[in-house]
This record gives sequence, C-alpha cells and structure tokens, in this order.
Amino acid sequence: MNRAGSRPRVSGEGHRGWFVLSPYGLDIIESCLTCKMRVDRIFCDLPTADLQAFETIKYATAYPKGAVLFVEGQAPRGLFVLCKGRVKLSICASDGKTLILKIADPGEVLGLSATVSGKPYELTAETIDPCQVNFVKREDFLRFLKEHGDACFKVAEQLSDKYNTACHEVRSLGLSHSAGEKLAKLLLEWTSKNGEACKQEPRLKLALTHEEIAQMIGTSRETVTRLFADLKKRQIVQAKGSTLLIRNKAALRTIASNG
Amino acid sequence: MQSAIQPSCFDCVLRPDRLFCDLPADALEAFDAIKVVNTYPRGTILFREGHPARGMFLLCQGRAKLFVCSDSGKRLTLRTAGAGEVLGLSALLSGASYELTAELLENSQVVTVKRKDLLRFLRDHREACLQVVHLLSQDLHVAYDRVRSVGLGRTRKAHAARVH
Repeated sequence: MNRAGSRPRVSGEGHRGWFVLSPYGLDIIESCLTCKMRVDRIFCDLPTADLQAFETIKYATAYPKGAVLFVEGQAPRGLFVLCKGRVKLSICASDGKTLILKIADPGEVLGLSATVSGKPYELTAETIDPCQVNFVKREDFLRFLKEHGDACFKVAEQLSDKYNTACHEVRSLGLSHSAGEKLAKLLLEWTSKNGEACKQEPRLKLALTHEEIAQMIGTSRETVTRLFADLKKRQIVQAKGSTLLIRNKAALRTIASNG
Repeated sequence: MQSAIQPSCFDCVLRPDRLFCDLPADALEAFDAIKVVNTYPRGTILFREGHPARGMFLLCQGRAKLFVCSDSGKRLTLRTAGAGEVLGLSALLSGASYELTAELLENSQVVTVKRKDLLRFLRDHREACLQVVHLLSQDLHVAYDRVRSVGLGRTRKAHAARVH
C-alpha cells in the first residue's frame, strides 16, 4: 500500500503534505473481504458468500472533499456504501434554505431507501472529507437483496436506524422551544457520540462551521455565533481553536431541557 | 367492536392489496403461528415513545396516529397510519426504544408479534424481509418529507397549528 496509508489519519484534519500515492490521501480498500473495519459496521458484516456476491457488483471509488454523490429529487441510480470519510446529508427548500439532516460516518449506506423504493433521492449527499465510497447500481442491488437474506436483514437494520434519526430530527426541529435549546442538545449529542459524555468537562472538536451548525438546527449563522458567544460569556463552554471544552455540563443540560 | 376477529391471515380477503401481508403460503403460515390478534378501543396507546421495543403491530383494521412528544407534553404528529400498515418495526429491528407513540384513532383490529419471534421469522423468510425493507423505505420517505415540512417549510402560524 502507500505511505500515507500506514499512518493514522485524524478525522476532520486535512492531509498533511507527506508523499501520497492514493487519491486524495486515502488508503483505498479494494476488497470488502480483506477490510478490517467490516466487523464493526452494520451493513458490511455479511457472511462470506454474501460478501463475495457484493464484491462483484460494487465499484470502489474515491471522491475529494466537496463532491456531490447524489442530489435531492434525482432519479435513484444506486446506493453508496461509505467506507472512509464523512458525508453531509441535507435537504433544501425552494428558496435555497438548507437543513443538514446528518453527518454520515463510515459504514453507512447512503441513498438506500430511494434505491429500494425507486423514488427520487430524498436528500443531497456531499462529501466533507476525501471519501472512499463503494457504489452499487440499483438493479444489481435489488437482485442482490432478493438472493441474499442476510444482506436483506442488514438493509432493514440500516433503514431502521435512518428512520430513528429522521424521527429524532422531526422531534428536535418541531418541538424544541428555541435555537439555544437545539444547540445545547446538539453539543450534548456530539459529546455522547465521541465518548466524552461521562467526563466532567467533555471536549469536542467542532468539525463544522457556524453556518453548517445553523443548518443542522434550522436557524441562522448569526444566531449560532451569538449563542456561542453567550455560552462562552457564561463560562458554560470554552473554545480552544476548533476544540470546544464544555466547562459546565449541568448548565448545558438545563438549557437543553428548558430552552 | 363491530368487526369479527380473523383468526388466520389465509382467510383475509384484503391480503393481496397490502404490502406486508401479501406473502407466500409458507411465510404466511409461519406468521400465523407467531401472531396474536386483538381488538382495541379508540384511544388505546399501542406503544409509547422511549419504551423498549418489545413487539411489532400490524393494523388489520382501523387507524392510528403516530406522534412525538416533548417533555412538556407538546405533541407533533408524524403521520396517520391506516389499515395494512406495520407499526413499531424500525425500533424493533434496531433494538432501540420506540421513537414515537402510536395511538388508535378508531376501534381497531391489531396483530401483535413479539420481537424475538419476528426477528426469527424475518431471518427464515426472505420474502417477508424484503417486504419489510420496502415498508421501511416508504416510512423513511414519509419521515424525510416531515423533516422538510417541519424544518424548512414552516411559518410560525403553521407550526403552531401542527403542535398541540
């Protein structure tokens, strides 16, 4: 493999200029059969026979940061298994207002429900890191699902997870009192995702801009900047570069529950 | 309740029109063996948001409202489910708690299947699993539409009308 691949790459950081042979500094995994991350991922952890069949229908591709995998409203041509990197999933109003539904992590299958149902993609997927993606054509995937029961079950599990996320989003957007409450909830959610939630002063790396955070909670960039300034002034959070230290978890929880 | 309970899915004339129910004979027979048919009055809560997912509910007759609820008791309706629809499926498959609450809007006939039995049934019957994948895809489309309408297409007045 290449030299870049032998070094661990910190999520959210760009590549650092050392000699790179793979596209966009990615250590491309050519075969799912040899992928070490497979066992930890819902969809990928398939029996060998299913995995061999999947190998024959997938196309391993690499995308740079900022590439659009599919656009909301587009007829589904297939699905994308995210192997490396992160992808922003968003929906857009006719006036151009954007709402980020989720930042997808490696192991997620994107464009799944549209590929299964044949309805247009309901989201837009854009890479926010250089990404390795396995693309599978719709007709190949539908045939694969019919022939492989275990894969079908994994797909059902993936769809269930996505449904849970969508319900969570509806609840957060529709029932939260204020932007402050939504931001506090988002920060607490991020700390529980990165395993810092149990710490007295959890730390998290802000990989998104204020504009993108605003799009996640359905408010404006100005409001997010104002809310962060307020949290800092009240010494609830402290910023060190792009790292955010939550100094008063209890106060943040109070904001999340009361607005 | 006005409607008579149907003990077997084989006798159901509505079966061919319903996405989940239209299964091959062997799968239907297996489903018959694990299901429990009940009738419930209007207003019954089939499952509640946050409770562990113990089973799946298939609405044979009747309608149910699916909603999320805030800590202060405010409700936001996600959708209304009609006869033939399967409820609680995603929570059951992901092993999480129910992500919403289902309340019957009419007196209804409901089939209940325990989580363990359903998971085994889906693993044994590929056609049923495929139906479930299609159902979940449809549910997801509806949920994304709702995210769009709540998150992007709302005015304060329209929002106030939806939340009650």
